[in-house]
Order: sequence, then structure tokens, then C-alpha cells
Amino acid sequence: MKKILVEHLKYRYPQAAELALNDISFEAEEGEKIGVIGRNGAGKSTLCQALTGLVPHFYKGAYGGRVIVDGTEVLSSSISEIVLKVGIVFQNPFTQVTGAKETVYDEVAFGLENLGLPRGEISSRVDAALELLRIYRFKDQAPFSLSGGQTQRMAIAGIIAMRPRIIVLDEPTSQLDPQGSEEVYQALDDLSDQGLTIVLTEHKIEKIAQYCDKILVLQDGRSVAFDTPARLFSAEDSDAWGIRPPVYTSVCRKLLRPPTGVYPVTLSEAGEALANWEAST
Amino acid sequence: MKQLTLYVDKQSFVHAVDPITKLFYVAFAILTSMLVPTAYAGVICALLSLSLLCLAKVIKNASPVFLFIGFVLFTVVVIQGLFGVNNQTEAFRLSGLIFYREGLITGAKIILRVVNIVSAFLILTLTTKASDLVEDLVRAGLSPRIGYVITSVFQIIPQMISSADIIMDAQRSRGMETEGGLMVRMKAFIPLIGPVVLDSFMSTKERAMALEARAFSAPNKKTFLRERPAYTYAAKLRGAFVVLTLAALIWRLAA
Repeated sequence: MKKILVEHLKYRYPQAAELALNDISFEAEEGEKIGVIGRNGAGKSTLCQALTGLVPHFYKGAYGGRVIVDGTEVLSSSISEIVLKVGIVFQNPFTQVTGAKETVYDEVAFGLENLGLPRGEISSRVDAALELLRIYRFKDQAPFSLSGGQTQRMAIAGIIAMRPRIIVLDEPTSQLDPQGSEEVYQALDDLSDQGLTIVLTEHKIEKIAQYCDKILVLQDGRSVAFDTPARLFSAEDSDAWGIRPPVYTSVCRKLLRPPTGVYPVTLSEAGEALANWEAST
Repeated sequence: MKQLTLYVDKQSFVHAVDPITKLFYVAFAILTSMLVPTAYAGVICALLSLSLLCLAKVIKNASPVFLFIGFVLFTVVVIQGLFGVNNQTEAFRLSGLIFYREGLITGAKIILRVVNIVSAFLILTLTTKASDLVEDLVRAGLSPRIGYVITSVFQIIPQMISSADIIMDAQRSRGMETEGGLMVRMKAFIPLIGPVVLDSFMSTKERAMALEARAFSAPNKKTFLRERPAYTYAAKLRGAFVVLTLAALIWRLAA
């Protein structure tokens, strides 16, 4: 079942001369993990906001095409309706803290209170989200007392507690140290196991190649490729998109003879491919 | 990170009173001391508030505030005693300066009013969490948006101060002088304020989007995670404060 359907999406910010998104089309099935990559200013964050209704409802501006998430058309729905289907996590973990709650537990419950859920339902959802994100032990701490990785996981817990079927993460590890990034990716693995459809923008190519089922490449607001990581990074013209393939792909492309056309994108795949190649020569 | 709060976490019957009843008390103590035409009401209200601060075990935390206003009020009494508009009757002389009875009485009345206002508000602020006060007000019908703005200020301002410190350290590491005379500090302020303001704008935009993503604008009625047990004597106390304030008003009108 298609969870995300984007058709000919165009968007221009108010007072901007050029389109931030220009004729973007792609789709995602239930449980798929979609990576979005591209240079700074390529339109990755704008696309994330378009999937959650912040574009055009929060930013206004000129909008064309259509975005359907979990059967709901974004343009004709309010943000408060869309957030029940799609959750979004932003780059900066600290600006996602509401500042209105004194404990991590209450912070995660904030969205559920806004939805008007009964107290018992709120508690059970918050408990489950904190357990899933492995931050239950911090539940009585002040939200601003957590580290970057813990705060980002708290932000994800706040979104997950609202039980969306799609989660969009806009460079969720860009401001985190390696340990914080690893904590977030572990949390994403757990979410993926729950069957959520995940859209993730990221500059760490090795990570996104390892993690995602498909990758969408954006360049100056246009979609230039949408394929599996192996096919996408093995393409001869991938350098023209301004995207560096994972180091494992580059190494295998140089070493494997005759050229295989499709190269490994992760360390384990590369190790296996090189071992097989060595055995055959 | 520190929070902007004066709340003192102690166990006392004053802490147990709900925030809205405390607000009723603040209104009662201030209005009664102003409305009743004799000074006795002001003295009684001030003594009551000071006693409540003692019983709440927060009088030590209140003392710096009283020390500060004490200095200001002392200057008011001196100025009124020397130069009050209605000064006629000499009270005493000190180092050649003449203090007048009318001015000193006016100064004493001002002291009484200020002590009443400050001590009543200290009972509220020292024994009530800001978030509890706002949550009770939202439950009572205050807009959640206004409630959010009030509560978030207590946590977000310290975070902004922390960001400003980081920006100041960054500017210092690039050779900016921040210590020294007034001119040096004023010069340092300009390269500091730009990044701080821009950072605040960006943070505000992102926080607004994060709030939208958490259904902050949902049109349905909010619920609350925490059950707030009703204070047993809330209705009786609030009723008593209203009756006493009305009595003070009638006394004032009849006088």
C-alpha cells in the first residue's frame, strides 16, 4: 500500500524568485525507508516540510502538484489533521523542546494533551515511546538537562507517541556527536521494526546508503534520481549530481574486474564482494 | 540548565493551597489594604502575609527582596519626610534637616502598601510552580496559547542566555575585547547582539514548527496528563476572600 505519493510537486517560498521544489514525483510503500540527499539548498528540508503540511500551511507561498500521505491530501487538510498521519523531527534537537514542561515525561506527553486524549491513553503511549527510544530512565529529568542525542530521541519520542504511520527526519544527526548519531540511528532501527514508513534527509552518505531502501537525489529543487542505493551509487553519472558515493562503493568500483555495474554500498557487502572476487581470481 | 523561578520546594500547608486560591489571596491582601480607610487593615494584612511566609518556611528566601525594597522605601520616607507636598508640622530635626509629620505618615502608608503587595506576591511566587499556576489558569479557561507563552519564558530565556554565552565565547576567541571600560563593553555588544537576535529568530521559527508538529493548533479541547487534586478548602477560602474584599469596598464607600 502506498503511504506517500508525491506527484509533480512545485513550491516557491513567499517573495522568492525561484522554485524551491520543481516537479518532484516519488512514492513510498508502507514500511519503506526513503533517503533524501542533495547539496545544501537542494530542497531537502522544504520537501520534508511539504510532506508534513508545513509547506504550504505554515509557510504559505505558491504551491502546485499534490502530496498524499496515508490517504490524506496535504493541501486540503489542516496541519493538526496531518500530524496524526505524519510526524516530523527537525535538525536542532533543542529547538524542538517546547519549553513548557518540566520533565521529559511531560514533554513527550505534550502533543497527546493537545490532541485531547484521555489521561490513561496518554500515559500508556508515553511509556511505550520512552521505552522504544530507550530514554525511560530520564523521564523525571528536566528536558533541557539532556545531551544532544538524548534530546533528539526525546523529540522523536514526542512524535512517535502521537502514533503517526510516517515519520520524516530532517538531518536528525547533523548537530550530534558520533555517539548521539548512533543513538538516533538505533532508535530509527527500532521504529523501522515497528513498520513505520521513514523519510530521512542526511549528509552522511555511508549511513544513508546502509539504512535506506531507496534514495531520492535532489539538485536545485529538481529530482534527478530515485532508486535503490546500490543502483544509484553505481551509476556512472552520480558524480554529476554532486553526490559522493560511499567509500565502499568507490573502492569496489576501482578494484572489481571486470566491472559488475552494480557495486556494494555497505562495509559488509563490500567485504563479501571483495572476498568472492579474490576467490574467483 | 537553570530555570527562571523563585519557587522554593518545601512541605507546608501554604504550598498545598492551589495556585488560584493564592491568586484570590493576593487580590484580597492588596485591595483590602488599599480600600479600608484605616491603617490597621494594612498592618493586619502585612502581618498575615509575613506570617504565611514564615509558616511556608520561605521567609529566608523572601528576605533579599525585602532588603532591596527596604532600601528603596527608606529613601521614599526620607524624601517624603523632608519634602512632602503637605508638610506643615515639624516632627524632629536631624543634622539640621527638618522632618515633617505629614510626610513621614505618607511615607509610612507607602511602606505599608508596598510591603503588602510584595509579601502577597512572594507567597504566590515562592510557594507555587509557575507551570502549576499557568496549568490551573488554562484549566480555568485561559487560552493555551497565552499559557504556553508565559510558561515557556521561564525555560527558554535561560536557554537564550546560554546561547548568548556561547556566541560571546566564539567572538572572544576571535579577539573581541569584552572586558574593560564602558566603551569597550559597548563595542563588544554590537557583534554580540546580531548573532544572538538572528539565532533567536531561527530558534523561534523552528520551535513554532515543532509546536505545530505536536498538534498545538488542534481545535479540540486539550486534556491534561497530570491530575491536580482539588484543594479541600479552595471554595471556602476563595469565598471568604471575596466577601472580605467586598466588605472593605463597602466600608470605603460608606466612609
